[in-house]
Amino acid sequence: MTRLLVIKQYIKYYVARYEVYLQPLAKFALAYIVLQFANGATGYMDRLNSTAVVFVAALTCSFMPPNFMVIMVAGFVVAHMYVVSLECAAVVLAIFLLLFLLFFRFSPRDTLAVLLTPICFSLNIPYVIPLMLGLLGTPLSIVSAICGVVAYYSVSYITANITTVTAMAADDMAVRFRFIIDGILDSQEMLVMTAAFSVTIIVIYFIRRLPITHNWLIAMVTGGLVHILILLLGDLIWDVPVGVGGAVFGMIISIGIAKVIEFFVFHVDYNSTEKVQFEDDDYYYYVKAVPKVTVAAPSRKVRKIHTRRSKEEEA
Amino acid sequence: MVNEERVILMTKLAVYEKGPGKLNVTIGSYFRGDYIGFQLLKSIISVTLASGIILGVYIFYHFEDLMLDVYQMDLLEIGREMLRYYLIAIIAYCALTYMIYSYRHHKARKGLLNYNRNLRKLSQMINNEGEASSK
Repeated sequence: MTRLLVIKQYIKYYVARYEVYLQPLAKFALAYIVLQFANGATGYMDRLNSTAVVFVAALTCSFMPPNFMVIMVAGFVVAHMYVVSLECAAVVLAIFLLLFLLFFRFSPRDTLAVLLTPICFSLNIPYVIPLMLGLLGTPLSIVSAICGVVAYYSVSYITANITTVTAMAADDMAVRFRFIIDGILDSQEMLVMTAAFSVTIIVIYFIRRLPITHNWLIAMVTGGLVHILILLLGDLIWDVPVGVGGAVFGMIISIGIAKVIEFFVFHVDYNSTEKVQFEDDDYYYYVKAVPKVTVAAPSRKVRKIHTRRSKEEEA
Repeated sequence: MVNEERVILMTKLAVYEKGPGKLNVTIGSYFRGDYIGFQLLKSIISVTLASGIILGVYIFYHFEDLMLDVYQMDLLEIGREMLRYYLIAIIAYCALTYMIYSYRHHKARKGLLNYNRNLRKLSQMINNEGEASSK
């Protein structure tokens, strides 16, 4: 454990020292990954699939505010949808605009959650998002989670039914439009997932703020159980397909990732908790102080060992 | 000699200025009423645009039915109904905006008050040090 703590100190030190370079680099890497993922999930426009285009787009994102990344990814997805059909592009654009106008403005700082939600869904670990937002965010982070879930399910519905949409080319435009809208609005899975994300974030947020020992771990496990419970309820009531084994496995991995986050953000030593009580003119104070686990990063000293020759010897 | 307390205070101030302080200074530069009013205005514009999008999607979705029944429809009644929904949406959304941005303004002011207190403390510390060195 001490070795891990030393590594953590080193990481913190170097991140703080080279923040000026690391921040744009991290933004570039994230934008590149997310754009490549968007291309992989949709990828109907050949020009956008080119690595050079993605590279330039990611490079632009690295010098812009984080929210620009969301706009860039949304632009890519709409452009890909436009190749499939105008109706697909119109529906996706309308959904993105509604999310931006009505929801995303309340929590613009959770950009990372919005961008990572579709990726985590594809990796079968979507549960890490509510865990992360519950532990690090506020109840308003629900808004970002909902944006991510709605965007993912809308796009994945269209990509899953792409053959049907293209086969309907002979039909009227309004028929294709209705088919897409109906499919997205009738997605019970999206509603269940939205409810599960929202409730999990709230549960985790309130438990991790309780003044109890191991509150973060309790919050993670309880949140995870609540999430699976809601998915099972969705399965019972609306027949939403839930692979219980996969969900439990994904949840265990998500809790593992959340534990790593906890190690970096909230690593405390409950055994050394101190409870003190004192007073001043106005108040009585009942203070519970939990120390953070830290170690000093060992500083390396280079000692040069060499024999000093006297001038006489040299002579 | 390095004054440890002063360095800690300066670090705290710098961290605040770089992090939440940046946003809080912007929020704090507005009067509460102006800030919330500006956000409410943005909300009204957002709801209006969103209503336009929803209306557009609705019309396109029911395009055939609307074209068939357009002469039998009581357009005035439909207009009134739509206006009612629009107003309900605006009221609900503005209420939500009011709650969220009142809380944010309150929090930002609190943070700035603390920041100013620390600044005063630092200034006093520097003055005291100056006086001590002149003696």
